[in-house]
Amino acid sequence: MLHDSVAKRRSLKALAAELSAIAFLVPFLVPFLVFYVWPVVKGGWMSLHVWGVAGKQRFVGLDNYAKILRDDNFYANLWHSFYFVLIFVPLVIVFGLVLALLVNRKMPMRALFRSVYFLPYVLSVSIVCFIWMRMLDSGSGLVNSILAAFGLPGANWLTDPDWAWWSIAITTVWWTVGFVMVLFLAGLQEIPVEFYEAANIDGANSYQRFRHITLPGLSGVMRVQIFYQVIASLKLFGQVHIMTQGGPGDTTNTFVRYIYLTGFKKDLFGLASAQSLLFCLIMLIITAAQYRFMNKRED
Amino acid sequence: MKKAVVNLSAIGFALLFLLPLVWMIVVSLKPDGVSATNVRDWVDFSDLTLDNYRKIFNSSGILKWMLNSFLIGTITTVISLLISSLGAFAFSQKRFRTKVVLYVFVASGLLIPVEALLIPLYDTVLHLQLLDNMWGIILPGLTNPLGIMLLKQFMDGIPQNYVEAARLDGCRDFRLWRSVFVPLTSSAMVSVGIFYFILSWNNFIWPYIAITSEEHMVLAAALPTFLSNNTLLVNNIMAASAIAAIPAMAVFIVLQKNIVQGVAMTGIKG
Repeated sequence: MLHDSVAKRRSLKALAAELSAIAFLVPFLVPFLVFYVWPVVKGGWMSLHVWGVAGKQRFVGLDNYAKILRDDNFYANLWHSFYFVLIFVPLVIVFGLVLALLVNRKMPMRALFRSVYFLPYVLSVSIVCFIWMRMLDSGSGLVNSILAAFGLPGANWLTDPDWAWWSIAITTVWWTVGFVMVLFLAGLQEIPVEFYEAANIDGANSYQRFRHITLPGLSGVMRVQIFYQVIASLKLFGQVHIMTQGGPGDTTNTFVRYIYLTGFKKDLFGLASAQSLLFCLIMLIITAAQYRFMNKRED
Repeated sequence: MKKAVVNLSAIGFALLFLLPLVWMIVVSLKPDGVSATNVRDWVDFSDLTLDNYRKIFNSSGILKWMLNSFLIGTITTVISLLISSLGAFAFSQKRFRTKVVLYVFVASGLLIPVEALLIPLYDTVLHLQLLDNMWGIILPGLTNPLGIMLLKQFMDGIPQNYVEAARLDGCRDFRLWRSVFVPLTSSAMVSVGIFYFILSWNNFIWPYIAITSEEHMVLAAALPTFLSNNTLLVNNIMAASAIAAIPAMAVFIVLQKNIVQGVAMTGIKG
Protein backbone atom coordinates (compact mmCIF):
# COMPACT_ATOMS: atom_id res chain seq x y z
CA MET A 1 0.00 0.00 0.00
CA LEU A 2 2.61 2.44 1.25
CA HIS A 3 5.06 1.36 -1.45
CA ASP A 4 2.46 1.84 -4.13
CA SER A 5 1.74 5.41 -3.23
CA VAL A 6 5.43 6.26 -2.94
CA ALA A 7 6.04 4.77 -6.38
CA LYS A 8 3.06 6.63 -7.77
CA ARG A 9 4.20 9.89 -6.28
CA ARG A 10 7.67 9.33 -7.66
CA SER A 11 6.41 8.65 -11.15
CA LEU A 12 4.13 11.67 -10.94
CA LYS A 13 7.12 13.74 -9.94
CA ALA A 14 9.13 12.37 -12.86
CA LEU A 15 6.26 13.19 -15.18
CA ALA A 16 6.10 16.72 -13.82
CA ALA A 17 9.85 17.15 -14.34
CA GLU A 18 9.48 15.81 -17.86
CA LEU A 19 6.66 18.19 -18.68
CA SER A 20 8.29 21.24 -17.16
CA ALA A 21 11.45 20.57 -19.18
CA ILE A 22 9.53 19.99 -22.38
CA ALA A 23 7.57 23.19 -21.78
CA PHE A 24 10.83 25.08 -22.31
CA LEU A 25 11.39 23.23 -25.58
CA VAL A 26 7.91 23.60 -27.03
CA PRO A 27 8.46 27.07 -28.56
CA PHE A 28 11.32 25.62 -30.59
CA LEU A 29 9.74 22.24 -31.25
CA VAL A 30 6.54 23.60 -32.80
CA PRO A 31 8.13 25.37 -35.80
CA PHE A 32 10.74 22.58 -35.95
CA LEU A 33 8.06 19.92 -36.32
CA VAL A 34 5.94 21.87 -38.78
CA PHE A 35 8.67 23.30 -41.03
CA TYR A 36 11.40 20.67 -40.80
CA VAL A 37 10.22 17.26 -39.61
CA TRP A 38 6.90 17.32 -41.43
CA PRO A 39 8.43 18.37 -44.78
CA VAL A 40 10.95 15.53 -44.48
CA VAL A 41 8.11 13.02 -43.99
CA LYS A 42 5.90 14.66 -46.59
CA GLY A 43 8.77 14.71 -49.07
CA GLY A 44 9.16 10.96 -48.70
CA TRP A 45 5.44 10.48 -49.29
CA MET A 46 5.37 12.83 -52.29
CA SER A 47 8.30 11.02 -53.86
CA LEU A 48 6.08 7.93 -54.27
CA HIS A 49 3.50 9.81 -56.32
CA VAL A 50 2.94 11.78 -59.44
CA TRP A 51 2.33 15.11 -57.81
CA GLY A 52 1.87 18.60 -59.24
CA VAL A 53 1.50 22.02 -57.72
CA ALA A 54 -2.26 21.36 -57.71
CA GLY A 55 -1.82 18.25 -55.56
CA LYS A 56 -1.58 14.49 -55.61
CA GLN A 57 -2.39 12.73 -58.86
CA ARG A 58 -1.58 9.04 -58.42
CA PHE A 59 0.55 6.59 -56.50
CA VAL A 60 3.46 5.19 -58.50
CA GLY A 61 5.58 3.48 -55.86
CA LEU A 62 9.26 3.65 -56.64
CA ASP A 63 8.81 4.64 -60.28
CA ASN A 64 10.15 8.14 -59.70
CA TYR A 65 13.39 6.72 -58.34
CA ALA A 66 13.71 4.30 -61.25
CA LYS A 67 13.16 7.21 -63.62
CA ILE A 68 15.88 9.28 -61.95
CA LEU A 69 18.41 6.48 -62.07
CA ARG A 70 17.78 6.18 -65.81
CA ASP A 71 18.11 9.95 -66.33
CA ASP A 72 21.43 11.07 -67.77
CA ASN A 73 20.88 14.57 -66.37
CA PHE A 74 20.88 13.16 -62.85
CA TYR A 75 24.43 11.88 -63.22
CA ALA A 76 25.57 14.94 -65.15
CA ASN A 77 24.25 17.44 -62.61
CA LEU A 78 25.47 15.42 -59.68
CA TRP A 79 28.91 15.39 -61.26
CA HIS A 80 28.73 19.16 -61.81
CA SER A 81 28.06 19.69 -58.11
CA PHE A 82 31.00 17.51 -57.17
CA TYR A 83 33.19 19.15 -59.77
CA PHE A 84 32.52 22.49 -58.10
CA VAL A 85 33.50 20.96 -54.74
CA LEU A 86 36.75 19.74 -56.28
CA ILE A 87 37.81 23.09 -57.71
CA PHE A 88 36.34 25.42 -55.08
CA VAL A 89 37.11 23.82 -51.72
CA PRO A 90 40.92 23.58 -52.10
CA LEU A 91 40.96 27.12 -53.48
CA VAL A 92 38.99 28.68 -50.65
CA ILE A 93 40.78 26.72 -47.91
CA VAL A 94 44.30 27.53 -49.15
CA PHE A 95 43.55 31.17 -49.86
CA GLY A 96 41.69 31.54 -46.54
CA LEU A 97 44.71 30.13 -44.73
CA VAL A 98 47.09 32.46 -46.59
CA LEU A 99 45.00 35.50 -45.65
CA ALA A 100 44.75 34.37 -42.03
CA LEU A 101 48.53 33.97 -41.81
CA LEU A 102 49.00 37.38 -43.43
CA VAL A 103 46.87 39.27 -40.93
CA ASN A 104 48.00 37.19 -37.99
CA ARG A 105 51.45 38.80 -38.19
CA LYS A 106 52.41 42.06 -36.57
CA MET A 107 51.70 44.65 -39.21
CA PRO A 108 50.34 48.18 -39.34
CA MET A 109 46.56 48.44 -39.66
CA ARG A 110 46.04 44.74 -39.20
CA ALA A 111 42.36 45.11 -38.26
CA LEU A 112 41.73 47.14 -41.40
CA PHE A 113 43.14 44.41 -43.64
CA ARG A 114 41.11 41.78 -41.85
CA SER A 115 37.95 43.81 -42.37
CA VAL A 116 38.67 44.40 -46.06
CA TYR A 117 39.11 40.68 -46.70
CA PHE A 118 35.93 39.90 -44.80
CA LEU A 119 33.81 42.70 -46.28
CA PRO A 120 32.34 40.86 -49.33
CA TYR A 121 30.90 38.19 -47.02
CA VAL A 122 28.22 40.59 -45.76
CA LEU A 123 26.80 41.11 -49.26
CA SER A 124 23.98 38.93 -50.45
CA VAL A 125 24.51 36.48 -53.26
CA SER A 126 22.60 38.47 -55.87
CA ILE A 127 24.75 41.58 -55.40
CA VAL A 128 27.92 39.53 -55.54
CA CYS A 129 26.72 37.91 -58.75
CA PHE A 130 25.78 41.21 -60.40
CA ILE A 131 29.14 42.75 -59.66
CA TRP A 132 31.02 39.75 -61.02
CA MET A 133 28.78 39.28 -64.05
CA ARG A 134 29.77 42.79 -65.06
CA MET A 135 33.40 42.34 -64.03
CA LEU A 136 33.63 39.23 -66.20
CA ASP A 137 31.59 40.55 -69.11
CA SER A 138 33.47 39.78 -72.30
CA GLY A 139 32.74 43.18 -73.87
CA SER A 140 32.54 45.87 -71.19
CA GLY A 141 33.99 43.94 -68.23
CA LEU A 142 36.87 45.15 -66.12
CA VAL A 143 38.73 41.83 -66.09
CA ASN A 144 39.19 41.64 -69.84
CA SER A 145 40.15 45.33 -69.96
CA ILE A 146 42.86 44.82 -67.36
CA LEU A 147 44.15 41.77 -69.21
CA ALA A 148 44.18 43.77 -72.43
CA ALA A 149 46.15 46.55 -70.74
CA PHE A 150 48.85 43.97 -70.04
CA GLY A 151 48.64 42.66 -73.59
CA LEU A 152 46.94 39.45 -72.54
CA PRO A 153 44.01 37.90 -74.39
CA GLY A 154 40.61 38.07 -72.68
CA ALA A 155 38.06 35.30 -72.48
CA ASN A 156 34.33 34.74 -72.59
CA TRP A 157 34.38 33.97 -68.90
CA LEU A 158 30.74 33.11 -68.43
CA THR A 159 29.88 31.61 -71.80
CA ASP A 160 32.95 29.52 -72.48
CA PRO A 161 32.49 26.03 -70.97
CA ASP A 162 36.19 25.94 -70.03
CA TRP A 163 35.93 29.12 -67.97
CA ALA A 164 32.37 29.18 -66.62
CA TRP A 165 33.10 27.01 -63.58
CA TRP A 166 36.26 28.90 -62.77
CA SER A 167 34.37 32.19 -63.00
CA ILE A 168 31.82 30.93 -60.50
CA ALA A 169 34.53 29.55 -58.24
CA ILE A 170 36.45 32.86 -58.26
CA THR A 171 33.28 34.82 -57.56
CA THR A 172 32.48 32.53 -54.64
CA VAL A 173 36.01 32.71 -53.29
CA TRP A 174 35.87 36.51 -53.31
CA TRP A 175 32.53 36.34 -51.52
CA THR A 176 33.28 33.78 -48.80
CA VAL A 177 37.03 33.50 -48.27
CA GLY A 178 36.86 36.11 -45.48
CA PHE A 179 34.71 33.73 -43.49
CA VAL A 180 37.30 30.96 -43.81
CA MET A 181 40.04 33.44 -42.86
CA VAL A 182 38.23 34.50 -39.68
CA LEU A 183 37.89 30.89 -38.55
CA PHE A 184 41.55 30.15 -39.24
CA LEU A 185 42.48 33.32 -37.36
CA ALA A 186 40.51 32.14 -34.35
CA GLY A 187 42.26 28.77 -34.64
CA LEU A 188 45.67 30.44 -34.76
CA GLN A 189 45.01 32.19 -31.45
CA GLU A 190 44.59 28.79 -29.78
CA ILE A 191 48.12 27.67 -30.62
CA PRO A 192 50.30 28.32 -27.54
CA VAL A 193 53.02 30.93 -28.13
CA GLU A 194 55.46 28.72 -26.18
CA PHE A 195 55.48 26.24 -29.07
CA TYR A 196 56.90 28.88 -31.37
CA GLU A 197 59.37 30.09 -28.74
CA ALA A 198 60.65 26.55 -28.22
CA ALA A 199 60.95 26.08 -31.98
CA ASN A 200 62.92 29.31 -32.27
CA ILE A 201 65.34 28.11 -29.62
CA ASP A 202 65.75 24.88 -31.58
CA GLY A 203 66.55 26.99 -34.64
CA ALA A 204 63.52 26.00 -36.72
CA ASN A 205 63.00 28.07 -39.87
CA SER A 206 59.67 29.59 -40.80
CA TYR A 207 58.69 26.73 -43.08
CA GLN A 208 59.44 24.19 -40.33
CA ARG A 209 57.43 26.22 -37.83
CA PHE A 210 54.52 26.31 -40.26
CA ARG A 211 54.75 22.62 -41.11
CA HIS A 212 55.22 21.28 -37.58
CA ILE A 213 53.39 23.76 -35.35
CA THR A 214 50.89 25.89 -37.26
CA LEU A 215 49.45 23.23 -39.53
CA PRO A 216 48.96 20.57 -36.84
CA GLY A 217 47.60 23.26 -34.51
CA LEU A 218 44.97 24.15 -37.09
CA SER A 219 43.96 20.60 -37.92
CA GLY A 220 40.74 20.79 -35.91
CA VAL A 221 39.56 24.01 -37.55
CA MET A 222 40.77 22.70 -40.89
CA ARG A 223 38.65 19.58 -40.72
CA VAL A 224 35.54 21.48 -39.63
CA GLN A 225 36.12 23.98 -42.42
CA ILE A 226 36.65 21.43 -45.17
CA PHE A 227 33.52 19.61 -44.09
CA TYR A 228 31.50 22.83 -43.97
CA GLN A 229 32.74 23.98 -47.37
CA VAL A 230 32.07 20.61 -49.02
CA ILE A 231 28.46 20.68 -47.83
CA ALA A 232 28.03 24.36 -48.72
CA SER A 233 29.45 23.77 -52.22
CA LEU A 234 27.15 20.84 -52.87
CA LYS A 235 24.23 23.17 -52.15
CA LEU A 236 25.36 25.66 -54.81
CA PHE A 237 22.40 27.33 -56.47
CA GLY A 238 22.31 31.14 -56.38
CA GLN A 239 25.54 31.81 -58.27
CA VAL A 240 24.79 29.45 -61.15
CA HIS A 241 21.15 30.43 -61.30
CA ILE A 242 21.93 34.13 -61.54
CA MET A 243 25.25 34.20 -63.39
CA THR A 244 25.02 31.43 -65.96
CA GLN A 245 21.49 29.95 -65.71
CA GLY A 246 23.25 26.63 -65.69
CA GLY A 247 24.95 27.40 -68.98
CA PRO A 248 26.67 27.40 -71.32
CA GLY A 249 24.46 24.51 -72.40
CA ASP A 250 24.03 22.55 -69.22
CA THR A 251 27.62 22.69 -68.02
CA THR A 252 27.05 24.61 -64.77
CA ASN A 253 23.71 23.12 -63.82
CA THR A 254 24.03 21.90 -60.24
CA PHE A 255 22.03 19.28 -58.42
CA VAL A 256 19.99 21.82 -56.48
CA ARG A 257 19.13 23.67 -59.67
CA TYR A 258 18.14 20.35 -61.24
CA ILE A 259 15.67 19.80 -58.36
CA TYR A 260 14.46 23.40 -58.67
CA LEU A 261 13.79 23.06 -62.41
CA THR A 262 12.07 19.69 -62.07
CA GLY A 263 9.80 20.95 -59.30
CA PHE A 264 9.07 24.55 -60.08
CA LYS A 265 9.55 24.81 -63.84
CA LYS A 266 8.26 21.41 -64.96
CA ASP A 267 5.71 21.07 -62.14
CA LEU A 268 6.86 17.52 -61.33
CA PHE A 269 6.75 17.72 -57.51
CA GLY A 270 6.83 13.95 -57.00
CA LEU A 271 9.86 13.45 -59.17
CA ALA A 272 11.61 16.46 -57.61
CA SER A 273 10.90 15.09 -54.12
CA ALA A 274 12.55 11.83 -55.09
CA GLN A 275 15.54 13.79 -56.39
CA SER A 276 15.66 15.72 -53.11
CA LEU A 277 15.63 12.52 -51.11
CA LEU A 278 18.54 11.14 -53.12
CA PHE A 279 20.30 14.44 -52.52
CA CYS A 280 19.69 14.07 -48.75
CA LEU A 281 21.02 10.54 -48.90
CA ILE A 282 24.22 11.71 -50.60
CA MET A 283 24.68 14.46 -48.00
CA LEU A 284 24.08 12.02 -45.14
CA ILE A 285 26.65 9.61 -46.55
CA ILE A 286 29.19 12.43 -46.76
CA THR A 287 28.36 13.58 -43.23
CA ALA A 288 28.73 10.05 -41.87
CA ALA A 289 32.00 9.53 -43.74
CA GLN A 290 33.44 12.80 -42.47
CA TYR A 291 32.22 12.14 -38.95
CA ARG A 292 34.03 8.80 -38.89
CA PHE A 293 37.09 10.35 -40.45
CA MET A 294 37.19 13.13 -37.87
CA ASN A 295 36.76 10.84 -34.90
CA LYS A 296 39.33 8.40 -36.16
CA ARG A 297 41.95 11.08 -36.55
CA GLU A 298 41.37 12.34 -33.02
CA ASP A 299 42.06 8.96 -31.38
CA MET B 1 63.07 42.76 -47.27
CA LYS B 2 61.04 39.60 -46.80
CA LYS B 3 58.71 41.47 -44.51
CA ALA B 4 58.19 44.21 -47.09
CA VAL B 5 57.24 41.61 -49.72
CA VAL B 6 54.70 40.04 -47.39
CA ASN B 7 53.24 43.42 -46.46
CA LEU B 8 53.02 44.36 -50.11
CA SER B 9 51.16 41.18 -50.91
CA ALA B 10 48.72 41.96 -48.09
CA ILE B 11 48.13 45.36 -49.67
CA GLY B 12 47.82 43.79 -53.11
CA PHE B 13 45.16 41.38 -51.92
CA ALA B 14 43.30 44.19 -50.17
CA LEU B 15 43.21 46.22 -53.39
CA LEU B 16 42.06 43.16 -55.30
CA PHE B 17 39.23 42.68 -52.81
CA LEU B 18 38.18 46.30 -52.96
CA LEU B 19 38.47 46.73 -56.71
CA PRO B 20 35.09 45.17 -57.63
CA LEU B 21 33.33 47.27 -54.99
CA VAL B 22 35.02 50.51 -56.02
CA TRP B 23 34.34 49.75 -59.67
CA MET B 24 30.68 49.14 -58.84
CA ILE B 25 30.44 52.59 -57.29
CA VAL B 26 32.38 54.32 -60.08
CA VAL B 27 30.22 52.73 -62.79
CA SER B 28 27.04 53.54 -60.88
CA LEU B 29 28.00 57.22 -60.96
CA LYS B 30 28.71 57.29 -64.70
CA PRO B 31 26.22 58.08 -67.49
CA ASP B 32 24.70 55.26 -69.55
CA GLY B 33 27.19 53.31 -71.57
CA VAL B 34 30.36 54.39 -69.78
CA SER B 35 31.69 51.26 -68.16
CA ALA B 36 34.84 52.76 -66.68
CA THR B 37 37.24 50.14 -67.93
CA ASN B 38 40.14 52.51 -68.55
CA VAL B 39 42.08 54.88 -66.37
CA ARG B 40 40.75 57.94 -68.20
CA ASP B 41 37.17 57.17 -67.13
CA TRP B 42 38.23 56.71 -63.51
CA VAL B 43 39.88 60.09 -63.17
CA ASP B 44 37.30 61.97 -65.22
CA PHE B 45 34.99 63.52 -62.66
CA SER B 46 33.18 65.81 -65.09
CA ASP B 47 30.50 63.31 -66.10
CA LEU B 48 29.52 62.01 -62.66
CA THR B 49 25.76 61.70 -62.28
CA LEU B 50 23.13 60.42 -59.88
CA ASP B 51 20.70 59.59 -62.67
CA ASN B 52 21.19 55.85 -62.26
CA TYR B 53 20.26 56.02 -58.60
CA ARG B 54 17.24 58.18 -59.41
CA LYS B 55 16.13 55.69 -62.02
CA ILE B 56 16.39 52.71 -59.66
CA PHE B 57 14.61 54.48 -56.81
CA ASN B 58 11.82 55.57 -59.16
CA SER B 59 11.31 52.33 -61.05
CA SER B 60 11.74 49.71 -58.36
CA GLY B 61 10.64 48.99 -54.81
CA ILE B 62 14.22 48.68 -53.67
CA LEU B 63 13.70 50.53 -50.39
CA LYS B 64 10.64 48.43 -49.64
CA TRP B 65 12.62 45.23 -50.38
CA MET B 66 15.37 46.36 -48.06
CA LEU B 67 12.86 47.12 -45.36
CA ASN B 68 11.28 43.67 -45.86
CA SER B 69 14.68 41.98 -45.58
CA PHE B 70 15.46 43.97 -42.48
CA LEU B 71 12.11 43.20 -40.85
CA ILE B 72 12.29 39.49 -41.64
CA GLY B 73 15.89 39.31 -40.44
CA THR B 74 15.11 41.12 -37.20
CA ILE B 75 11.97 39.13 -36.37
CA THR B 76 13.66 35.82 -37.21
CA THR B 77 16.65 36.71 -35.07
CA VAL B 78 14.67 37.87 -32.04
CA ILE B 79 12.31 34.88 -32.02
CA SER B 80 15.18 32.46 -32.70
CA LEU B 81 17.19 33.81 -29.78
CA LEU B 82 14.21 33.58 -27.47
CA ILE B 83 13.21 30.01 -28.33
CA SER B 84 16.84 28.84 -28.57
CA SER B 85 17.65 30.24 -25.15
CA LEU B 86 14.60 28.59 -23.59
CA GLY B 87 15.44 25.26 -25.23
CA ALA B 88 19.09 25.52 -24.28
CA PHE B 89 18.06 26.11 -20.67
CA ALA B 90 16.08 22.86 -20.63
CA PHE B 91 18.96 20.87 -22.13
CA SER B 92 21.55 22.46 -19.89
CA GLN B 93 19.82 22.72 -16.51
CA LYS B 94 16.81 20.43 -16.36
CA ARG B 95 16.92 16.75 -15.58
CA PHE B 96 14.47 14.67 -17.58
CA ARG B 97 14.29 11.22 -19.09
CA THR B 98 13.86 12.06 -22.76
CA LYS B 99 16.72 14.57 -22.74
CA VAL B 100 19.23 12.65 -24.85
CA VAL B 101 16.62 11.48 -27.33
CA LEU B 102 15.25 14.98 -27.72
CA TYR B 103 18.70 16.50 -28.05
CA VAL B 104 19.63 14.13 -30.86
CA PHE B 105 16.26 14.81 -32.48
CA VAL B 106 16.80 18.58 -32.34
CA ALA B 107 20.43 18.34 -33.51
CA SER B 108 19.29 16.26 -36.50
CA GLY B 109 17.98 19.58 -37.80
CA LEU B 110 21.51 20.30 -38.97
CA LEU B 111 21.53 17.31 -41.30
CA ILE B 112 19.11 18.29 -44.03
CA PRO B 113 19.47 21.72 -45.64
CA VAL B 114 16.53 23.69 -46.94
CA GLU B 115 17.79 23.07 -50.48
CA ALA B 116 16.76 19.44 -50.09
CA LEU B 117 13.34 20.31 -48.67
CA LEU B 118 12.19 22.90 -51.17
CA ILE B 119 9.31 20.88 -52.63
CA PRO B 120 7.62 19.59 -49.45
CA LEU B 121 8.31 22.88 -47.67
CA TYR B 122 6.58 24.70 -50.50
CA ASP B 123 3.68 22.28 -50.18
CA THR B 124 3.50 22.84 -46.39
CA VAL B 125 3.66 26.61 -46.63
CA LEU B 126 1.10 26.54 -49.45
CA HIS B 127 -1.36 24.63 -47.25
CA LEU B 128 -0.83 27.05 -44.38
CA GLN B 129 -1.58 29.85 -46.88
CA LEU B 130 1.69 31.53 -46.07
CA LEU B 131 3.09 31.74 -49.59
CA ASP B 132 3.94 35.29 -50.62
CA ASN B 133 3.81 36.26 -46.97
CA MET B 134 6.54 37.43 -44.61
CA TRP B 135 5.70 34.65 -42.13
CA GLY B 136 6.25 32.04 -44.82
CA ILE B 137 9.91 33.09 -44.69
CA ILE B 138 10.21 33.72 -40.96
CA LEU B 139 8.68 30.52 -39.59
CA PRO B 140 10.83 28.06 -41.60
CA GLY B 141 13.80 30.17 -40.50
CA LEU B 142 13.17 29.25 -36.87
CA THR B 143 14.11 25.59 -37.28
CA ASN B 144 17.89 26.01 -37.11
CA PRO B 145 19.08 24.13 -34.01
CA LEU B 146 22.52 25.73 -33.94
CA GLY B 147 21.34 28.43 -31.51
CA ILE B 148 20.15 25.87 -28.98
CA MET B 149 23.36 23.87 -29.28
CA LEU B 150 25.66 26.87 -28.90
CA LEU B 151 23.76 28.50 -26.06
CA LYS B 152 23.59 25.16 -24.23
CA GLN B 153 27.40 25.02 -24.27
CA PHE B 154 27.55 28.48 -22.72
CA MET B 155 24.92 27.67 -20.11
CA ASP B 156 26.83 24.50 -19.18
CA GLY B 157 29.73 26.76 -18.28
CA ILE B 158 27.77 28.86 -15.77
CA PRO B 159 28.91 27.97 -12.22
CA GLN B 160 26.39 25.90 -10.28
CA ASN B 161 26.66 28.08 -7.18
CA TYR B 162 24.97 30.92 -9.08
CA VAL B 163 22.08 28.56 -9.73
CA GLU B 164 21.96 27.37 -6.13
CA ALA B 165 22.00 30.91 -4.79
CA ALA B 166 19.12 31.85 -7.06
CA ARG B 167 17.21 28.72 -6.05
CA LEU B 168 17.67 29.62 -2.38
CA ASP B 169 16.19 33.02 -3.14
CA GLY B 170 13.13 31.14 -4.30
CA CYS B 171 13.68 31.40 -8.04
CA ARG B 172 11.58 28.95 -10.04
CA ASP B 173 12.76 27.75 -13.44
CA PHE B 174 11.38 30.54 -15.53
CA ARG B 175 12.73 33.30 -13.31
CA LEU B 176 16.05 31.49 -13.06
CA TRP B 177 16.24 31.48 -16.86
CA ARG B 178 15.21 35.11 -17.17
CA SER B 179 17.24 36.68 -14.39
CA VAL B 180 20.35 34.48 -14.29
CA PHE B 181 20.85 32.63 -17.58
CA VAL B 182 19.75 35.26 -20.07
CA PRO B 183 21.96 38.03 -18.62
CA LEU B 184 24.95 35.72 -18.19
CA THR B 185 24.78 34.45 -21.78
CA SER B 186 24.06 37.85 -23.33
CA SER B 187 27.37 38.16 -25.16
CA ALA B 188 26.97 34.69 -26.64
CA MET B 189 23.44 35.68 -27.65
CA VAL B 190 24.78 38.70 -29.52
CA SER B 191 27.12 36.41 -31.49
CA VAL B 192 24.41 33.90 -32.24
CA GLY B 193 22.03 36.72 -33.14
CA ILE B 194 24.46 38.22 -35.64
CA PHE B 195 24.86 34.80 -37.19
CA TYR B 196 21.08 34.36 -37.53
CA PHE B 197 20.64 37.82 -38.98
CA ILE B 198 23.30 37.34 -41.66
CA LEU B 199 21.81 33.95 -42.50
CA SER B 200 18.38 35.47 -42.93
CA TRP B 201 19.59 38.57 -44.78
CA ASN B 202 21.49 36.45 -47.30
CA ASN B 203 18.86 33.74 -47.64
CA PHE B 204 18.23 33.47 -51.35
CA ILE B 205 16.67 30.27 -52.60
CA TRP B 206 13.68 30.03 -50.27
CA PRO B 207 12.37 33.62 -50.60
CA TYR B 208 13.06 33.38 -54.32
CA ILE B 209 10.55 30.53 -54.48
CA ALA B 210 8.08 31.48 -51.75
CA ILE B 211 7.61 35.19 -52.48
CA THR B 212 5.90 36.08 -55.73
CA SER B 213 4.58 39.63 -55.44
CA GLU B 214 6.80 42.63 -55.80
CA GLU B 215 5.67 44.26 -52.57
CA HIS B 216 6.57 41.28 -50.36
CA MET B 217 9.92 40.60 -52.02
CA VAL B 218 13.12 40.59 -50.04
CA LEU B 219 16.23 42.26 -51.37
CA ALA B 220 18.33 39.19 -52.20
CA ALA B 221 15.55 37.52 -54.18
CA ALA B 222 14.02 40.63 -55.71
CA LEU B 223 17.08 41.95 -57.53
CA PRO B 224 17.53 39.09 -60.03
CA THR B 225 13.81 39.10 -60.86
CA PHE B 226 13.65 42.87 -61.20
CA LEU B 227 16.71 43.04 -63.39
CA SER B 228 15.63 40.25 -65.68
CA ASN B 229 12.22 41.88 -66.17
CA ASN B 230 13.69 45.21 -67.18
CA THR B 231 16.21 46.15 -69.79
CA LEU B 232 18.79 47.98 -67.76
CA LEU B 233 22.26 49.15 -68.58
CA VAL B 234 25.39 48.29 -66.63
CA ASN B 235 25.26 51.65 -64.91
CA ASN B 236 21.71 51.10 -63.63
CA ILE B 237 22.53 47.60 -62.44
CA MET B 238 25.56 48.86 -60.57
CA ALA B 239 23.49 51.59 -58.95
CA ALA B 240 20.98 48.99 -57.77
CA SER B 241 23.80 46.81 -56.44
CA ALA B 242 25.38 49.77 -54.69
CA ILE B 243 22.09 50.78 -53.06
CA ALA B 244 21.75 47.24 -51.75
CA ALA B 245 25.40 46.85 -50.76
CA ILE B 246 26.07 50.15 -49.03
CA PRO B 247 23.80 49.65 -45.96
CA ALA B 248 25.18 46.14 -45.39
CA MET B 249 28.76 47.41 -45.66
CA ALA B 250 28.02 50.38 -43.40
CA VAL B 251 26.57 48.13 -40.71
CA PHE B 252 29.59 45.89 -41.03
CA ILE B 253 32.02 48.77 -40.65
CA VAL B 254 30.26 49.97 -37.50
CA LEU B 255 29.86 46.53 -35.91
CA GLN B 256 32.86 44.78 -37.43
CA LYS B 257 34.36 43.63 -34.17
CA ASN B 258 31.13 42.00 -33.00
CA ILE B 259 30.42 40.52 -36.40
CA VAL B 260 33.85 38.96 -36.84
CA GLN B 261 33.75 37.56 -33.30
CA GLY B 262 30.23 36.26 -33.78
CA VAL B 263 31.13 34.53 -37.02
CA ALA B 264 34.26 33.02 -35.49
CA MET B 265 32.37 31.71 -32.49
CA THR B 266 29.42 30.21 -34.34
CA GLY B 267 31.62 28.86 -37.12
CA ILE B 268 34.03 27.06 -34.85
CA LYS B 269 31.59 25.52 -32.44
CA GLY B 270 29.07 24.78 -35.17
